Amino acid sequence: MSDYGHDLLFGTFVTPTNQPAAHAVDLAVASDRAGLDLVTFQDHPYQPRFHDTWTLLSYAASRTSRIHLSANVLNLPLRQPAVLARSAASLDLLSGGRLELGLGAGGFWDAIEAMGGRRLSAGQAVEALEEGITVIREIWAADKPGPVRVAGKYYRVHGAKRGPKPAHDVGIWVGAYKPRMLRLIGRAADGWLPSLGYLPGGVEDLAELNAHIDGAAVAAGREPGAVRRLLNVSGRFAPTGRAFLDGPAEQWAEDLAGLTLEYGITGFILGTDDEYTIEAFAAEVAPATRELVAAERGAVAAGPA
Amino acid sequence: MNYGHPLEFGTFITPTGEDAVTLARRSEELGYDLVTFQDRPFQPDLHDTWTLMSWVAGRTERIHIAANVLSVPLRQPAVLARAAASLDLLSGGRLDLALGAGAEPDGTAPDGSWDAIEAMGGPRLDPDGAVDALAEAVDVVRGMLDAGEPTPLCFAGEHYRIDAVGRGPLPRHQVPIWLGGRERRVLRLIGRKADGWVVTLGHLGPGDLRAGNKIIDEAAAAAGRDPAEIRRLVNIAGTFGDERRGFLQGPPRAWVDDLLPLAVEDGAGTFVLICDDPEALERFAREVVPALRAAVDAALPAPLPTGPVRGAAARAKRRTGIDYDGLPRSLARTAVEPGDIDYPRVRANYMRGGSPGVVLRPGSTAEVAEALAFARRHPDLPMGVRSGGHGISGRSTNDGGIVIDLGALDAVEVLDEATRRVRIGPGARWKRVAAALSPYGWALTSGDYGGVGVGGLATAGGIGFLGRKHGLTIDHLRAVEMVLADGSVVRASDTENPDLFWAVRGAGANFGIVTSFEFEVDEVGAVGWAQLGFVASDMAGFLRRFGEVASTAPRDTTAFLVMGPPRRGQPAVAQLYGMVDSADPDTVIAQLQPFAQIAPMFQQEVVIAPYAEVMGMAPDAEHQGRGEPVSRSAFVREVTPAFAQAAERLLTSGVVYFFQLRTVGGAVADVDPDATAYAHRDAGFSVIAMGVDRERLDRLWDGLSEHFDGLYLSFETDQRPERLADAFPPATLRRLRELKGRYDPDNVFRDNFNIRPIPGTEEKP
Ligand SMILES: Cc1cc2nc3c(=O)[nH]c(=O)nc-3n(C[C@H](O)[C@H](O)[C@H](O)COP(=O)(O)OP(=O)(O)OC[C@H]3O[C@@H](n4cnc5c(N)ncnc54)[C@H](O)[C@@H]3O)c2cc1C
Repeated sequence: MSDYGHDLLFGTFVTPTNQPAAHAVDLAVASDRAGLDLVTFQDHPYQPRFHDTWTLLSYAASRTSRIHLSANVLNLPLRQPAVLARSAASLDLLSGGRLELGLGAGGFWDAIEAMGGRRLSAGQAVEALEEGITVIREIWAADKPGPVRVAGKYYRVHGAKRGPKPAHDVGIWVGAYKPRMLRLIGRAADGWLPSLGYLPGGVEDLAELNAHIDGAAVAAGREPGAVRRLLNVSGRFAPTGRAFLDGPAEQWAEDLAGLTLEYGITGFILGTDDEYTIEAFAAEVAPATRELVAAERGAVAAGPA
Repeated sequence: MNYGHPLEFGTFITPTGEDAVTLARRSEELGYDLVTFQDRPFQPDLHDTWTLMSWVAGRTERIHIAANVLSVPLRQPAVLARAAASLDLLSGGRLDLALGAGAEPDGTAPDGSWDAIEAMGGPRLDPDGAVDALAEAVDVVRGMLDAGEPTPLCFAGEHYRIDAVGRGPLPRHQVPIWLGGRERRVLRLIGRKADGWVVTLGHLGPGDLRAGNKIIDEAAAAAGRDPAEIRRLVNIAGTFGDERRGFLQGPPRAWVDDLLPLAVEDGAGTFVLICDDPEALERFAREVVPALRAAVDAALPAPLPTGPVRGAAARAKRRTGIDYDGLPRSLARTAVEPGDIDYPRVRANYMRGGSPGVVLRPGSTAEVAEALAFARRHPDLPMGVRSGGHGISGRSTNDGGIVIDLGALDAVEVLDEATRRVRIGPGARWKRVAAALSPYGWALTSGDYGGVGVGGLATAGGIGFLGRKHGLTIDHLRAVEMVLADGSVVRASDTENPDLFWAVRGAGANFGIVTSFEFEVDEVGAVGWAQLGFVASDMAGFLRRFGEVASTAPRDTTAFLVMGPPRRGQPAVAQLYGMVDSADPDTVIAQLQPFAQIAPMFQQEVVIAPYAEVMGMAPDAEHQGRGEPVSRSAFVREVTPAFAQAAERLLTSGVVYFFQLRTVGGAVADVDPDATAYAHRDAGFSVIAMGVDRERLDRLWDGLSEHFDGLYLSFETDQRPERLADAFPPATLRRLRELKGRYDPDNVFRDNFNIRPIPGTEEKP
C-alpha cells in the first residue's frame, strides 16, 4: 500500500489527428468545459497524420481557460532541449501556468533517425533524457547566477542565458517502464506517466515499478512523494460491470480509487475521443473517485477505530 | 519595378509578455494582413516565437502570422515542416513561413550571433555553411509539405538528412516560404527557391533594395522562374509627427510619399511596420495604408490583381485542352488546378482515384450555370458532377477533364416548421443533415453512411436504415431547383415540370445539376441502433434465415448485413447493422430478438441514440480514393435457398471482399413503380458485391442473373449497356430516353449511368 497523498487529477488523452484539423482542439475545449484537470496529446513527429504536438498544445492552450495541458509524452530526440525549455516557459507564461511537461526518451528509432534525429541505444537514451532534463531545469532557473553550462555527452549548452522562469512549477513527467528510466524518474522527475495497457501484468505491476522510483528517490535524498504517479487508462461505460473500467461510473470510481489507495496513482488520464465519455468522466467518475479517496484517507488519518 | 502582387501590410511586434498578444489582436482589428515576430531563441526575455505564433493563432481569426524570421539552426527542419502544416491547418490557412540562416555577421540579427546559437546547443556554421543549411532546410520543408506527392521524402544534404519519411500533412493553404537576409548568396537562393524576400529597410544602404532585387531577379530568371513569383516584404520603422523631419518621420502624407516609390519602383509588395505603439499602429492603418494603396493604384498602369497568382511550376502542371485563362472571374477564385495546394484534397473521391484538369467550385446556382457553360465549351472532355464525392457508379472525378464540385452548396434550412419542409444543398453530407434536423426531433432517411453527399444519393434513390418505415430518400422529395444542359435554371415538382421531377427521382444525374432539394422530413426521435456480430458457419443457411427475419420484421426495423470471405480455417462471420425506429428499449429489444436467434453471436451492441449520432459516426476525412472500384449490384425479391447457396459460393470464391444485403420493401414498396424513375419497388433486398478483379467478378455475378430482378444503380460499376435495362424497366427506360432527348439532347450529363437521348420525337417543352 503506498498512497503518496497528492490531490487527484483527471485528464484526457486525445488523438492529435489532423483530419479534421480541429478535432483535438475541440476535445481539449470539451475537456476544459467538462471541468477536467488535464488534456494530453501524444507526440510522434514522424507521423504525418498527427498534428505537431507542440503547436497543438500552444494552440489548444489559447482556446481553453482553466485546464492544464501536457504532451503524453514529448519526443525529446526530435526536440532541442534548450529551445524546448524556453518554449515551455513561454507557453506556461502565456497560459497563466497551465503547462506540464511530459517527456519521453524516444522509442521508434528508425522513424526518429529518418526524420533527421540521432539514433540512440536504450541506455544512451536514458542518459540523454537525464541531460535534457538538466538543461531544461537550468534554463528555467532564472534566479541562479551565471549562464547555463551543461557539458553533456548528448546535449551541450555552454553560456546560454537563463530564463525565462515559468509562471508555475511546471511538472516534468516522464513516461517509462524499465528500471533504469524509473530510477532516473526517482532522481530527477516530478512525475511518472506510464500507460496501463503497456504493463504486462496489469495494475499489479505498479507496485514493483513504484518501488524502483521510491528507492531511487530516497537514494537521491528526495521524498518518494516528490514524484506524482499518473496513469494512462482506457475503458468504457456500460450499464453493468464486466471488467476493470468496463461498467457504470460508480464502478469506475471504485476501480480508480483502488489505484490511488493501493498504488498511489493520483493522475488518471483517459484515452478517449468522445465528448460524451469526457463529460461522464468529469461529471460522474471524478467526483465519486475523489469522495471515495477522501473518505478512505480520512479514515486512515483518523487512525484505527 | 513592381511585381504585381496585391499590396499587403503587416506589423512587427516584439514577442514579449502579454503585450505581444494584445498588439497582435489589435493588428487584426486594424485590418493588417499579417503580424510578425522576431525569433531569438537565445534571448530569455522574449517568447519562444513558434509558441507565441501558435498561441496568437488561437486568439485571432483572420490575420496571417509569420516569424520575422525563424532561426533555422535551432529548429529541426522536418519537425518544423510538420509544425508549419499543423499551424496552418489549425489557423485555417494563416501561417506564412519566413526563415533565416541564423546569425548574420553584419547585424540583421543585432543581438544574435553564432556564439549565442552555439551556446544554446546549435551548430556553429561559417557564412557559406549557413546559407547551404538554409537552402537544404527550404528543400526539406518544401518536400515535407508536398503532401500530394505519394513517394516518401528522401533528402541527403550536408546538414540535414531525411530518409524515406512520409510527407505531409497538407497545409490548409499554399504556405509561402520567405527568406530573410541581405548577402548575395542568400539573395541568389531566394531567386532560385523562395517565395519571398524579407528585409529590414533600416539595415540597408541607399540603393541596396534595388540592387538586392536585381540579384534575386537574375537568379530567378536563371532558374527558369518568373521574378514576379517572389514577393518582396520590407520591414519599416518610423515616427509620426506634424512636420517632416526625415524618411518616415513626419505626417502620414509624408510617409505615403516615402513609401510610394518603394512599392512602385522597388517592388515592395508588403510593408511590415516595426512598432509596439498601439497609437502608431492605428495611425499607420488608418492614415497611411488607404492613401498609399490609392497612390500605388494611381501610379501603376494597371490595378493590382486580387486573385491567386500561380507560379511557373503550378502552371506547368496544367492539362492540355482546357482554357484555364478563360475561366470566368467568379469561378477562377475558387477553381483548383493540378498545381494548386488544394488539388490533393479534391482530385479523388471516396472510392475512386482521379486527376481532373480542373475542379470548379461554384458557390451559387448562377455560378453552377457558369461552370456548366465553361464545361460545355470543352465538349470532348469528361465532365463530372460532384456533391459528396461518394459516387460508385457516378464518376465524379476523371482524368484530365472538368469536375463541377458542389461542396460549397451545403446549406440546410428549415422552410416551414409546421409541414417539416426543409431545403438542402447538394453539397451537404447526410451526417450534417441529420445533425441539423435532430434538434427539431426530425430525421430524413438517407443511407448507412453519414459521409455520403446529398446530391448523388437524393437523385438516385436513398436506401437507408429508416427505409422500411419511411421509404426512400426520394420519396420525401417535394421539389428541386436544377440547372439544365442549356444553362436554364428550373424548378421541378409535382406541379412544375412534373416529367422532370419524375426523372430526377431515380435518374437525376442524367438530367442536370440539382442545386437544391426540398424535402418533407419525418418526426423521428431517438432510435434503437444495433451492431450484432454473428458466427455464420453455415453461410447459406444463415443468409436464408436473415432474409426471412429481416423481410418479415415490423416496418420500424430495417437491417443491413455485411459479410466478407471466411478467413482460412475459421467460420465465416457476419455483421448486422440494424435500426429500430423506436426510443423504447423494450420495443427495440423485442424487434431485435428474432435476429439474435439466427446464429450464435460474438458481438452485441445495442444503444438508444439519436439518428444523428448514428450518422455522425462517419469521420470527416478528405477523400483519398485510388484506382477504380469494382462493384456489382442487384435486387432480389427474397433470399431463396438457391440464391443463398449461390451467395455462399460467391463468398468463398476468393473474388469478393465485401458482400452486403440491404433490406428494402416496407414503405418503399408502397409507392407506385411508375411514380418515380426508381421503379424496382417490389424488391426485398439490395445486394452488393465488391471485388478487385473486374472480369472475374463480372463472370460470377453474370452467372447469378437468374436470381436477380433489376439493380440499384448507385452500387453498380459495370459499364456494359445491358445494365441500363437492369436499372430501369422497359417502360421507365423508354420514358427516360424521351425525356433525355428533351432536356439534354446533346448528352452533356453522362458521368453516371448514361441514358442516351431519343432525338427529337417529343414536342419541345
Ligand atoms: C460508403 C458508402 C456508403 C453508401 N451507402 C449508401 C446507402 O446506404 N444508401 C444508398 O442509397 N446509397 C449509398 N451509397 C451510394 C451513394 O448514395 C451514391 O454513391 C451517391 O451517388 C453518392 O453521392 P455523393 O453526392 O456523395 O457522390 P458524388 O460522387 O458526389 O456523386 C455521384 C454522382 O451523382 C451525380 N450527382 C452528384 N451530385 C449531383 C447533383 N447535385 N445533381 C445531379 N446529379 C448529381 C453525379 O452523376 C455524380 O457522378 C453509399 C456509397 C458509399 C461510398
